[in-house]
Amino acid sequence: MMIETVKLTKSFKGKNVVDEINFYIDEGESVGLLGPNGAGKSTTISVISSLIKPSAGDVKLYGKSIIKNPAAIRKILGIVPQEIALYEELSAYENLKFFGEIYKVKRSVLEERIQEILDMVGLRERQKELVKTFSGGMKRRVNIGAALLHRPKIIILDEPTVGIDPQSRNHILETVQKLNKENGTTILYTSHYMEEVEQLCKRVYIMDHGKIVASGSKTELLNILSSEDTIKIHLNETSDDILKKIQQIESVRHVDETDDGIRIISKKGNNILSSLIHTVESQGAEITNYQIETPSLEDVFLHLTGRTLRD
Amino acid sequence: MFSFLKKDLLVLWRDRKEVLIALFAPILLVVILNFAFSDIGVDDPKNIDLSVAIVMEDDAEASMQQIEATIQSAPLSDNEQQTLLETAHAIVPSDLLFELFLDDSDLSQWISAERLTASAAAEKMENGDLDAIVHIPAGFNYDVLMQLLLGEVTDTRVKLQIEEHSLQTDILYDIMDNYLNGLNLHLALDHLAEGNIEGAMLPTGGRELLNDEVEPYPYTFAQYFTMALSTLFALFIASTIASKTATEKRQRVINRIIITNTRPVSFLFGKVTATFFFTLLQLLFVCVIVHLALGIFAGKSIEFWFITVLIITFFSLTVAGLSAMFTSLMLRMNSINLATGIFTMIIMLLGTLGGSFFPIGEMSPFMQSLVEWTPNGITTSLFIEALQYGTDAPLLAAFSKQFLLFILFLLIGIFLFPERREV
Repeated sequence: MMIETVKLTKSFKGKNVVDEINFYIDEGESVGLLGPNGAGKSTTISVISSLIKPSAGDVKLYGKSIIKNPAAIRKILGIVPQEIALYEELSAYENLKFFGEIYKVKRSVLEERIQEILDMVGLRERQKELVKTFSGGMKRRVNIGAALLHRPKIIILDEPTVGIDPQSRNHILETVQKLNKENGTTILYTSHYMEEVEQLCKRVYIMDHGKIVASGSKTELLNILSSEDTIKIHLNETSDDILKKIQQIESVRHVDETDDGIRIISKKGNNILSSLIHTVESQGAEITNYQIETPSLEDVFLHLTGRTLRD
Repeated sequence: MFSFLKKDLLVLWRDRKEVLIALFAPILLVVILNFAFSDIGVDDPKNIDLSVAIVMEDDAEASMQQIEATIQSAPLSDNEQQTLLETAHAIVPSDLLFELFLDDSDLSQWISAERLTASAAAEKMENGDLDAIVHIPAGFNYDVLMQLLLGEVTDTRVKLQIEEHSLQTDILYDIMDNYLNGLNLHLALDHLAEGNIEGAMLPTGGRELLNDEVEPYPYTFAQYFTMALSTLFALFIASTIASKTATEKRQRVINRIIITNTRPVSFLFGKVTATFFFTLLQLLFVCVIVHLALGIFAGKSIEFWFITVLIITFFSLTVAGLSAMFTSLMLRMNSINLATGIFTMIIMLLGTLGGSFFPIGEMSPFMQSLVEWTPNGITTSLFIEALQYGTDAPLLAAFSKQFLLFILFLLIGIFLFPERREV
């Protein structure tokens, strides 16, 4: 076990933002930490990275506590914060050089490593340009590059793709995948984009209100919903009353309105279609389209927390 | 630490707005003030043109013979007599006065002096061709040397006859006064060196006696405000550097720095060193550009420039110390706006107390005593003293005070600097 948290707790003003969480990461693993805003992901990461002290519990690196010896984890850790933690007035190259120097990367290898990283993040041609002139996606790529200079054994990425264009997002995901698969770097990836975590991570921890509410591989998590069906319907008109009436159908566990219709989670095996049609029509509306979906991690999250990741 | 220094200098340098304000605002203000108040700069030698006559009523040769006779008859050893005789010939008081008025190149730029008889001088003054007459009374050399060498109290007075009282003639009066004080100073030195006259620092010429040790050389409005304003703007560099820390904190760059295992003191010293170099650059730039634009230090010696660089260096150290304090405070405070507001208030207070807004000389004695404890006040007053007295300015005391302030600010900065996991 590379990293392990034991009843890790962090309180702010008497409120447990992180509440006795236990999780582990094995060396070479790619682990996802999922949760909506305010779930406690960033605080957990800050404690693991030794940026803040926990209120209780412990973080262990290869079985040894890092609370009193934070230097141990700092040596092998690369962190990609949610914010663009770069000097906007410096160029991409100057930023990487500065962070490389303070990571104490030897002068003889630093130059080569900077170019290697710039290649990896696809910014070699623009290395001399100031970061403040970059697009959000390019900044995020440099943000990742700055965490790789000292060849860390573990990289923590805290929502590295927030607010960027699809091209940069793909580039970042490919980079992370490459780091994990080709270099064997351990990854802890937090996001509220479910599809990213599904693509990158073998195991997932789901956090909500400071607690870990579920964990496991994607298959294991999906099995949580093995007793449920997800049905998506489209109506010619919709209202709160219709949603309330659907919720009242006996086998329905959850109803919510999404961008592309109404999502209904119900007990598996119960044929609720006729009940649905009857309920909708009784409210003067019509079902124009419907589909029964295979459950996704998003559905698992919804099932576990009662809210969507982007809530 | 070098990485931090390089980074901080680059970040600061690329903040064009801050750089332009720091470098050009004081220059612009000095130039504007100089033009606006150019008529008030009466201390500027260029504005003064005095015609002075020197009337010698003493027979210098007779006086010297008389003093020789007195020394030889005094109950002193041969060696002591010989030393006194040599000294008497080296510092003939009337010669010193003539050298001052007739040979001094600086003084001759604004005083036209000539040696005249009493009647010729009176006639010229009546015709309005003279502003003042300096009368050297009979027995002057003998009396002054008696007082200087043998401690005999006399009441000989040089008379200054003024046609019309003005600020310019006041300056002339001050010069004369300082000249005589200078002689008295050496008299005191003689007493201190009693029994060992050879070792006493006796004057070798009137020029040295008057300008280097006693007479405050006049300074101009532009010279004063060049230093007063540029030191004020330099203080803002400490605040600017601290505000860059706020950006680092807001953007979480500081977190990234913390997890590199870098010693926090390296981060702080990077700020301190960057502030030092930038302040040094700013002040040198302002002094040189203002000089090139207005020629305010024209004719100043290499020593003057050397002293100025030293003054600026010590002041830059203090500003660097201040930046350590501000940086730590910025890291500790949650509100960047509040922190910046506090820094601005501190700087404006230092500016007011340190004479950046109005001349130190115009302040009350109480305020003047406070000036001596503000970095910019110490610097401005020392700079003015350097302009007036050259190497005789109290450099060591002021530098020691500046260095103490630097250490004090730095220690406060280190003390306030948050631990890694408190940022």
